[in-house]
Amino acid sequence: MSTSLRDVRDQRGEVVAVAQLGGGMVEVSARLPHLAGVAKPGQFAQLRCGGSTTPLLRRPFSVAWTEDDVASFVLAPVGVGTRRLAALRPGEPLDALGPLGQGFTVSGATRALCVSGGLGCAPFPLLIRALRRAGTQTVTVVSGAASAARLYPAARFARGDPGVHVEQVTEDGSRGRRGLVTDAVPAHLDGASTAVYACGPTPMMVALARILQGSPAPPIAQVSLEAPMGCGYGTCLGCALPVRGADGQAWTLCCREGPVMDVETVDWDELMTLPPAHVA
Amino acid sequence: MPELQVDLGRGLRLSNPVGLASGTAGFGFELADLVDLDRIGALYTKGTTRMPRAGNPPPRVAETAGGMLNSIGLQNPGVEHVATVYAPLFSQWRCAVIVNVAGATVDEYVQCVRILDGADGIAGYELNISCPNIAHGLDLGRDPGEAARLTAAVRAVTERCIVVKLSPNVSDIGAVAAAVESAGADAISAVNTFVGLKMHRQARRPVLAGSGTGGLSGPAIKPLAVAAVAAVRAAVRIPVIGVGGIIDTGDAVDFIIAGADAVQIGTATFPDPSTAVRIVDGLTEHLAMVGISHLSELRWHPQEPTIGLFAAAGVAPPP
Ligand SMILES: Cc1cc2nc3c(=O)[nH]c(=O)nc-3n(C[C@H](O)[C@H](O)[C@H](O)COP(=O)(O)OP(=O)(O)OC[C@H]3O[C@@H](n4cnc5c(N)ncnc54)[C@H](O)[C@@H]3O)c2cc1C
Ligand SMILES: Cc1cc2nc3c(=O)[nH]c(=O)nc-3n(C[C@H](O)[C@H](O)[C@H](O)COP(=O)(O)O)c2cc1C
Ligand code: FES
Repeated sequence: MSTSLRDVRDQRGEVVAVAQLGGGMVEVSARLPHLAGVAKPGQFAQLRCGGSTTPLLRRPFSVAWTEDDVASFVLAPVGVGTRRLAALRPGEPLDALGPLGQGFTVSGATRALCVSGGLGCAPFPLLIRALRRAGTQTVTVVSGAASAARLYPAARFARGDPGVHVEQVTEDGSRGRRGLVTDAVPAHLDGASTAVYACGPTPMMVALARILQGSPAPPIAQVSLEAPMGCGYGTCLGCALPVRGADGQAWTLCCREGPVMDVETVDWDELMTLPPAHVA
Repeated sequence: MPELQVDLGRGLRLSNPVGLASGTAGFGFELADLVDLDRIGALYTKGTTRMPRAGNPPPRVAETAGGMLNSIGLQNPGVEHVATVYAPLFSQWRCAVIVNVAGATVDEYVQCVRILDGADGIAGYELNISCPNIAHGLDLGRDPGEAARLTAAVRAVTERCIVVKLSPNVSDIGAVAAAVESAGADAISAVNTFVGLKMHRQARRPVLAGSGTGGLSGPAIKPLAVAAVAAVRAAVRIPVIGVGGIIDTGDAVDFIIAGADAVQIGTATFPDPSTAVRIVDGLTEHLAMVGISHLSELRWHPQEPTIGLFAAAGVAPPP
């Protein structure tokens, strides 16, 4: 009837490091033993600066990395909530409710392709580690952004793992290939042996879904989607996303059935008609 | 030991006055892992309708200063599913589960309550005559005569406690309250959300889908909700349940002073699932701190002459 939240805790962590990654992007690491211990790749946490009720609602962020009792998040200041989180300093408190949602399916596919657009980079470091531990031989990341300054540093995807290859794409050509990240995708698709994972802006995901429709089916094709959230744990019914139901179009909850979904379950035409989640 | 029990009428006694508001607690099982449902007084379920509803297209929620707008569109699996699949789960928690019912016609409410009356585990009904997010959702709640007709029709088919949930989007909330009291309501909850509109500056249109309006909740509405509760309290004798913008014990106390017998916590549960349980503990501490044994002693009686703070505390003013 519902996904269990038995693993979910609300923990007050202490920020231990804030790394500036350029272009305003930061990686915030906090001592959050529970989250760091149980979060699976693709799951997220609802964050707020410790104890603060301004803004009122927490903000959802993918768990980007875990190491011992520390969990890390990648974000950039795009609005009131992210501005406050990006300004956190070591020693300050960070509240995290999680882990929430369904993560990526990690299986031992021979190869994996990670398609990352802008801040969609966030879930990949943790996913890549899990894939490699599960026996995937090579992981290729195609990482795109508007310009070089907005690219997630290539070395942070691999974190020292030689089995991870990163190909960069920028819209303005300031680094790597010029164009859209999806332009680089077809060359890496080889049907049954490459699992495909994607996270990025909706138009990128729609373009990817179209490319996959015209290609041999990968063993796994999953995307991590966004929706504005009230609660993040399946109670407010605020985070509806369009899916292809048994009898036509239906809504599903991003926070509970997602954020990671199989490409073929999403109603991409309907999703494209929705306004972007971000309101400046 | 201070006494937190509250009597809502028709034999429905809550262990304490703190409830989870409709639409912010699902049907219980959704957040049972996050909120200790044995510790709160009541859980008011998501609005339940005669037929299943898929809900509105997204975006359905948008944050605003000190609050949020929602336009969920009463997504729910329909009353038959609630009666047969969800109700059997209710008795596993110690809180009273009050099913919130919504509809577009009097007949839909009556049918829902008839079906739910056949199920065990339901402590009572909260009639939502005030949902701003469905077509006609407000009509039954705006007119005192219509609200009374609805209440009387439901009263005729159930012996369980009936709470009528009022809309603040009316010109005279006291008149609606008095009408439903005389039609047989056991208690009144006030208030539902206020109609609001948030604009998307780049797109030059509303953020929320459809007409763009949504229901405003959260701390931003608290003073408005307290005023509504005071107006309802002045108009009726039955128990009043205050709701709107409560995030801590002090907020709950304000509603009780204004005339509420119980409270509901809504939006505050989203960022902080432990809010309601914290307020239960906070109310006990508050009673001990001010040295009274029952919450009703906190109530403001507007007709009584004002007693100076020093006199109230039994001390002489400084010379
Ligand atoms: C499951 C999930 C995982 C995410 N992971 C990351 C991540 O790892 N790194 C990262 O930088 N961003 C991530 N995001 C997006 C991030 O949550 C938003 O950028 C953030 O909520 C914006 O808040 P704000 O106050 O700065 O912006 P504002 O525009 O001021 O926020 C206003 C409201 O809109 C909501 N909102 C705004 N943008 C988004 C968005 N893109 N998605 C959902 N709601 C939004 C906010 O939560 C808030 O309620 C994720 C979103 C989801 C749903
Ligand atoms: C997301 C959401 C969904 C709601 N759904 C319902 C509902 O189905 N029926 C109802 O009577 N009230 C509903 N409400 C209103 C709340 O029960 C409550 O009256 C209102 O939010 C004010 O309280 P708050 O400020 O504490 O949230 C909903 C509120 C929110 C935020
Ligand atoms: S965010 Fe509340 S149900 Fe998904």
